[in-house]
Amino acid sequence: MTAPTDQHIEGTKDVTFRIFRFNPQVDSKPYFDDYTIPVERGVTVLRSLNYIKEHIDASISFRAFCQAGICGSCGMRVNGLSQLACTTQVWDVLAKSRESGIIKVEPLRNLPLIKDLIVDMDPLVDKMKHYSNWIDSTMPESSMGKKEFLISEAEFLRYDKATDCILCASCVSECSILRANKEYVSPAVLLKSYRMNVDSRDAIHGKRLAELVKDHGVWDCTHCYRCQESCVKSIPIMDAIHGIREDAIELRGMKDTSGSKHAEAFMSDIEKKGKLVEATLPIRTNGIVWTLQNLLPMAVKMIMKRRTPPPPPLVKSAKGIKIFREMFREMTEHVRQDHKSQKK
Amino acid sequence: MKRYAYYLSCINESMTKEVDCSIELWQKDLGIEFVKLHEGTCCGGSNLDYVSPKHFALVNGRNIALAEKMGLDLIVSCNTCLMTMRSAKKKLDETPELKKEVNEILKKEGLEYRGTSEVRHILWVLVDDVGLDTIRKKVKVPLKNYRIAPFYGCHILRPSTVLGHDNPVNPSSLDQLVEALGGQTIPFKHKNRCCGFHTLLVAEQESLNVAAEALQEAIQAKADFIVTPCPLCHTSLDGYQSKALKQAGEASSIPVFHISEMVGLALGYSAKQLGIKRHIVS
Repeated sequence: MTAPTDQHIEGTKDVTFRIFRFNPQVDSKPYFDDYTIPVERGVTVLRSLNYIKEHIDASISFRAFCQAGICGSCGMRVNGLSQLACTTQVWDVLAKSRESGIIKVEPLRNLPLIKDLIVDMDPLVDKMKHYSNWIDSTMPESSMGKKEFLISEAEFLRYDKATDCILCASCVSECSILRANKEYVSPAVLLKSYRMNVDSRDAIHGKRLAELVKDHGVWDCTHCYRCQESCVKSIPIMDAIHGIREDAIELRGMKDTSGSKHAEAFMSDIEKKGKLVEATLPIRTNGIVWTLQNLLPMAVKMIMKRRTPPPPPLVKSAKGIKIFREMFREMTEHVRQDHKSQKK
Repeated sequence: MKRYAYYLSCINESMTKEVDCSIELWQKDLGIEFVKLHEGTCCGGSNLDYVSPKHFALVNGRNIALAEKMGLDLIVSCNTCLMTMRSAKKKLDETPELKKEVNEILKKEGLEYRGTSEVRHILWVLVDDVGLDTIRKKVKVPLKNYRIAPFYGCHILRPSTVLGHDNPVNPSSLDQLVEALGGQTIPFKHKNRCCGFHTLLVAEQESLNVAAEALQEAIQAKADFIVTPCPLCHTSLDGYQSKALKQAGEASSIPVFHISEMVGLALGYSAKQLGIKRHIVS
């Protein structure tokens, strides 16, 4: 393998790539193959894989195209972390490897496996279709080509970062909830949905939002931030998820979901007491029937261990609550004014 | 005696009272003093930030301003409170117009958010301020017979742009604390994964799956207990444990400790004093 001349002086390191192998047509179960090659500083995981495929074993399958972090094809797990093989340098990974000199390469999680390092992206594409991840223009067809849309810089900045997504599916692979339920919308689709929803040229954000607040949608995100942490483009994905939730609660009145009721309980408790009233949180989120059916056996155990949260009258307000409430309500007035000026 | 302002997390005042009780027992042994912030209010629990970003900035700007008035750093023992208040701090520090708007309102209470106090986790205070050497010297009952699974939880690690103490991929501070107390940590893949707490009331099945995975790894690795720096993780992993493991078809169980209890045990306090008997799984 070649590298710039000035880096030759640092020499090479022998690196073992432990690659996940599985061909469903012939293999009964997955296994790993080891390939040890000399690697110079600056060489990426993708270049190493290409080298192995060209010189050692042509049967290894992986997706790759641009080799420059633009196309999003080569998402895979390198030492357990979902990332792009083409922007990940071998020596950097090696420095943090648990097993010295070994780099484990596996396919992305949470998507069906096709072969070796290749996963099936169709479930993700299907979700993008389900949640209408495109702009349906507000401009009548008769005006198209005659007029242009003018977008303010302030509006563009709201979705600028989100447009950086290259659909590499690293976030999908790292998502805690998707790991628990494959029906979940997934972070990449939430990010795209947000990007379309805040675009003033779009005519279907009502329809999109109505899907997003249903089961397996935006409220099922458990705020683990793994998506954001693994994003190869450093997109603040949680801001987009929060943005959809804020939109659903504040601007469009979609409050009839357990997720929004749960979130709003925090707001109202803070205003009233400055403290969360945990005892009634399940009832306010899901109603009395759900609470009795789902939490009664646990509540009994908690009572026996004196672990139950105090009933609402016994939750002591934070010290100085009176002036806090005044300040809280003053901010409510600010927010009201903001919403009014946004609507104009 | 180094002093800190101590934020009272809602859950530690209701379901996980043992956290603050145990800290109270040993703080002076380690040369630190936590001054309780009774005026502090709920941080919004990772929800207020999207319900109303401006209220989120006001509420947490005020919490931090209360500590600033005392000239002390603000210490929390709940991961989500930590992440939430550090996020608010970052937002206020980076957005002068928001800071100005918040401060206009805070004037009513004679407060001002300046950005001078840090928001830190008690785990960081133990590892960085008290120091592992001091802790080692204070240990009376080393945890040498225990194999311990360190579960960090999400909001002490991610987003790393807000937290920035441990490497989110391979964190080490909790492992170091366990080892300083004489315990042995086990390799634990779930150490930086999620407990599912935040969706327990909204997507219960999914949350229980998430919790069960972590619990099963610790059980299969024959850990004696899991330790966590977060009372929310504790509630998911201890309070919901039987439900989660039943759903996963797992017959065994595993105790889950707070870091404050683990420190207390090593410093010679009894399980009864530390409130360990209040746990659902014993």
